[in-house]
Amino acid sequence: MRDPLSRRTFLKSFALALTALAASSRAAAAASSFGGPDDEPDEDVKKVLREKFGDRPIRKGHLSLDVPDVAPDSREVPLLIESDLPMTASSYVKGIHIVVDHNPDIYLAGFDFTPAIGAATLDTRIKMRRSSHVRIIAETSTGELWTTSRFVYTSLNGCV
Amino acid sequence: MSDDTGQGKILLPATIKRNAVINIRALLSHPMLTGMSRDQTGIPIPAYFVNDVVVMYGGERVAHFEWTSGISRDPFVGFSLLATKEAPVTVTWKDNKGGIYTQSADIKFSAA
Repeated sequence: MRDPLSRRTFLKSFALALTALAASSRAAAAASSFGGPDDEPDEDVKKVLREKFGDRPIRKGHLSLDVPDVAPDSREVPLLIESDLPMTASSYVKGIHIVVDHNPDIYLAGFDFTPAIGAATLDTRIKMRRSSHVRIIAETSTGELWTTSRFVYTSLNGCV
Repeated sequence: MSDDTGQGKILLPATIKRNAVINIRALLSHPMLTGMSRDQTGIPIPAYFVNDVVVMYGGERVAHFEWTSGISRDPFVGFSLLATKEAPVTVTWKDNKGGIYTQSADIKFSAA
């Protein structure tokens, strides 16, 4: 005769597993929508990019942007930018540019480097008017353009 | 508004080895006003922000930053530097009202 208890235990654990599965798929769905809207720049942003970089292609890669998904204080959003691009006399990152789609100044800042810097890293704090994509563009001495972007949700809004 | 506007600070690592890539942090006291806010009586507060930063290392210009008022109040920037020589690092911040602020720190190699 089968042990009813083991059947019950099995059912219980099966139900638990199902709940866990549902929860994790919900979390996954939330995580994907958390990435924010599609990161295709709108016309205003495209115009700024064209003015700065012309019609050169801007490809994704070689950059990492560390920024909170949700910024508790939009007056001080910390950015940490790192790159694995070479920093030698013949090939180096000559500029890193910060673009925030929904800020009054879409082009927020540019940082020009020389090989004497040794590594293209950057750490700073920016203001955000509202939730927006934050885009980083690196320009190399050979004229290549690399980019990465993150969508950042802001809570307390306002530019001071 | 703080009256210590223009006070600069440069932070270097405690120990620096020759030819190491080090992290340098530069901080300036500055209100970084966008010009889009108003005071309590509704009068617009004019823009007042640092827009140009130059980093010199032993007389050589190694980096140059171009900012808007989108950089936070009391602007902070951390960047790398290849420590090839014992020489001062000098950061000069300029704002849109003609203010010029300079701060230096000496790079010295620690005894191996």
